[in-house]
Amino acid sequence: MSVIISYFQRDSMVHRLNPLTKMIWSVVLMMLSFMVTNVYILAVLFLSIVLVAYLAKILKEMLPAFIGLLYFAAFFLLFQVFFIPDGKTLFVLIPGTHLLRVTDQGLLFSAAMGIRLMVIAASFPVLLGTTQVKDLVVMLVEKLKIPYAYAFMFITSIRFIPTFVQEMDLIIQAQCSRAHRLDKGNFIKKFLSICPLAIPLMITSVKKAEQMAISMETRGFGSGKRTYLHHDKFALKDWMICCSLFVLMVIGIFFNIKGFLG
Amino acid sequence: MDPVITVEHLTFRYPTIASASTEAAALKDVSFSIHAGEFVGITGPAGAGKSTLVLTINGIIPHFQSGIFQGKVLINGRDTFETSCSEISRQVGSVFQDPEAQLVTPTVEDEIAFGLENFGFEPGLIESRIQEALHLIGITNLRNRSTSELSGGQKQRVSIAAAVALRPGILILDEPTSELDPMGTMEVFEVLKQLNQQFGLTIIVVEQKINILMEYIQRLLVLNQGSLVFDRTPREIIKEPETLHSVGLRVPPVSELAYLLKKAALYTEELPLTVDEAYSGLQKSLGRRKEEK
Repeated sequence: MSVIISYFQRDSMVHRLNPLTKMIWSVVLMMLSFMVTNVYILAVLFLSIVLVAYLAKILKEMLPAFIGLLYFAAFFLLFQVFFIPDGKTLFVLIPGTHLLRVTDQGLLFSAAMGIRLMVIAASFPVLLGTTQVKDLVVMLVEKLKIPYAYAFMFITSIRFIPTFVQEMDLIIQAQCSRAHRLDKGNFIKKFLSICPLAIPLMITSVKKAEQMAISMETRGFGSGKRTYLHHDKFALKDWMICCSLFVLMVIGIFFNIKGFLG
Repeated sequence: MDPVITVEHLTFRYPTIASASTEAAALKDVSFSIHAGEFVGITGPAGAGKSTLVLTINGIIPHFQSGIFQGKVLINGRDTFETSCSEISRQVGSVFQDPEAQLVTPTVEDEIAFGLENFGFEPGLIESRIQEALHLIGITNLRNRSTSELSGGQKQRVSIAAAVALRPGILILDEPTSELDPMGTMEVFEVLKQLNQQFGLTIIVVEQKINILMEYIQRLLVLNQGSLVFDRTPREIIKEPETLHSVGLRVPPVSELAYLLKKAALYTEELPLTVDEAYSGLQKSLGRRKEEK
């Protein structure tokens, strides 16, 4: 899980791009993957994500996520491939019967579904691996006009993950030292055994949230128009990439409509 | 010169306490004033109203914590009722007890920029203020670190830097060292001393660790059950340790020892606040005794 949301500090051209460009890239890829039905083009889309990860020098870190997606897509394919009866029969899994028949159209369709899933899911780890969350948030507020309070909530929830993990460890240790048992009995007993951990965690969380709110108020949170220390410039290369993504989108839409008409 | 903080007949009662009697008030008829450049300590047993007093000075009470508020708090001559919380926070920087909960952003740089960004400072000015604050507190090397990987003392110094970056005239700290080890406690107090002596910042620190407090401050306010019971200098207080005993507190052990020795006519110098002072005082007293013999 951690690999999906971590940022990796590298000096690469992908890291230097504006967060908005990377966000647009991610969204355009997702939309294209819905428009395209051709399995080969989908595969090219996926390989382009791998290429971006390579250019960003984070391919090694991304590999576990990509491989995980591959398993997931394979599972998806297996699940679907037997249920499409159209097309020429390629082979039958149990010879001599008509059970579990695999057709050429079925195979292509299921493969397309699997790869589409990979394209949709693979671009986000790359986006978050090359962009700091705070830069993403600044971009969301500045360019997309999302209220700062909501964007701040997002940053803070990430900031507090290590704090709560620490707090949880402490509570587990404290309760175990009082002979509390975690994994015993049936579902209801298990649920009840979580309460002595969840309730103290909730109470400390509320206290921490209150303290944080006070700390924010004493530093002028929401006192007027806000500025930002770091400003990402929208450079020429960002414009160029966004324009080419736009052109790709238009081509995708064009072929999609044509496909429907034809 | 007018005082920077004036508290007049302040009584405050939290709304959650059902009883309406004055017994339940968190603060009872508290009056004092603090002048620019003072280094004031506030102490008292648990539940004495120390944290409530802090919240009335930095404007959280009455702006964000409701309750029954009587009396007046003036910051630089202006009533906190008529000043918004963000205006007050330009004049009063606050540091709190829990080093975890008061750091609101993921990195040290963002943390110090946070207040400046909220007030809409220009990026160039934010940058120079960050450098200034980091330099003043002596943590320039921590700038690009993630806040979650810092030690407790480092976290508290980042909180102080974040407060100082707004250039307040007053810095108020609510038990800033309660979760720190002796080393971290020293770090925090040394920074406060420097800010007070070199930059004339008015500092108010709520603290239970009376030994270290007495070494640094110029004036001690003692609260007990919501009332202000003493307001004296450390030197005055160690001359009468019984007054602190009456509210369940003690003067530093070296001071008490010297006090008892003095009572028995074994110690002749001025009562000491620190071990070093006690050491030289004892040497002089012993020397005098030898001469007399």
